[in-house]
Amino acid sequence: MSIEPIIGRYLTVTVAGASHRIFFEEAGQGRPVLCLHTAGADTRQWRHLMNDAGITASNRLIAFDMPWHGKSLPPEGFETQEYLLTTDAYIETVLAVIDGLGLDRPLLAGCSMGGRIALQLAALHPEKFSGFIAIEASDFQPAWYDIDWFDRPDAHGGEMGAALVSANISPFAPQVERSNTLWMFMQSGPGVFRGDLSFYTRDDSLITRLGQIDTAKTPVHIMVGAYDLTCTPEDAKRTADAIPGATLAVMEELGHFPMSEHPEGFRPFFVEALHKMTKDVVECA
Amino acid sequence: MIKVFQNIQTQLNTTPHLLRLGRLFSETVLIEIDGEEIYLTFEKGRLVEVTPGPSRKTPWRFAFRTDAEALQKFWQPLPEAGFHDLFGLVKIGRGRIDGDILCLVKNLRFFKDVMALARLSKEVAA
Repeated sequence: MSIEPIIGRYLTVTVAGASHRIFFEEAGQGRPVLCLHTAGADTRQWRHLMNDAGITASNRLIAFDMPWHGKSLPPEGFETQEYLLTTDAYIETVLAVIDGLGLDRPLLAGCSMGGRIALQLAALHPEKFSGFIAIEASDFQPAWYDIDWFDRPDAHGGEMGAALVSANISPFAPQVERSNTLWMFMQSGPGVFRGDLSFYTRDDSLITRLGQIDTAKTPVHIMVGAYDLTCTPEDAKRTADAIPGATLAVMEELGHFPMSEHPEGFRPFFVEALHKMTKDVVECA
Repeated sequence: MIKVFQNIQTQLNTTPHLLRLGRLFSETVLIEIDGEEIYLTFEKGRLVEVTPGPSRKTPWRFAFRTDAEALQKFWQPLPEAGFHDLFGLVKIGRGRIDGDILCLVKNLRFFKDVMALARLSKEVAA
């Protein structure tokens, strides 16, 4: 028997005029690191790092479920709404969580759409953060699939979404974590993955903002798995090249969900990223 | 190449979890490899016929077209990036899907797992 050190609680914030009950969990102490999950998933993607004593000895990892995801409920009246995430709502949510939890300039670590919004925040609200770890993140990708596949009354969107995103998981990922990663997509609520993808595949506003990012004040480190078909190494490199001072790591044996699909393989890259976020390293760079 | 699909047929039909996954799938799928046609006829998840083409009389629901080298790479135990997934082959320009793609997507996990069964085959991995 074992009890993990991760502790979960709920926070109520107002986003876009509506009240949201947000689930968050955390582990560790020291420098706050706010972790953002991918589209169609939830905080469980971060559980391996949050259970890693070597990481949490000096880092307070905090992850939260976006509204509509995981244990965060959708807002009142959701039953008549179409969920479509927007850059503005996503930014407002992240900032509301930071304020609600009283976090002082946390590091922001986001994966996929979380990485996208991390770069948006790096451009628009850098003063709120001490650095950005943008995983499987790029300026923009149009969909190579039809996002409407994943919200249909005649089929299980979660199962189809999981089958699709399995294309982004590395064959080096242990089978158990491949399956756990896909399970989260299978559990995603109706239309949620589609609503996330709407943001991820249609909003290209980041492209023109990349040049605004000042890595001298807040470092930006981009990480990408070689097996990621959605955000390819070429996409990540193009994005890193457009941000003066940004660094890039290509993870040869990982895919689009590295912290979840292959925690052991991802760990050294995440440790490296944390080191890059320290002020001394930045000044020496 | 027909032998590989006959081996897939044997493996699928003795793999209970895949038969359960495909229990609503009764379709014919065209596999085209370097122009060579192979028709896979499924009945309630079971692969009942592996038929060599060419055929102009066999209706199919969707087709997956690729080349032999790409499939050999796909069937390696640890495929290189891009060759690790059917949609990966499409994305890197080594595969094409035609026909009722929604039918494929509704049964995507089943079809991917069936096509990947050859990864277990020694003759392919060699």
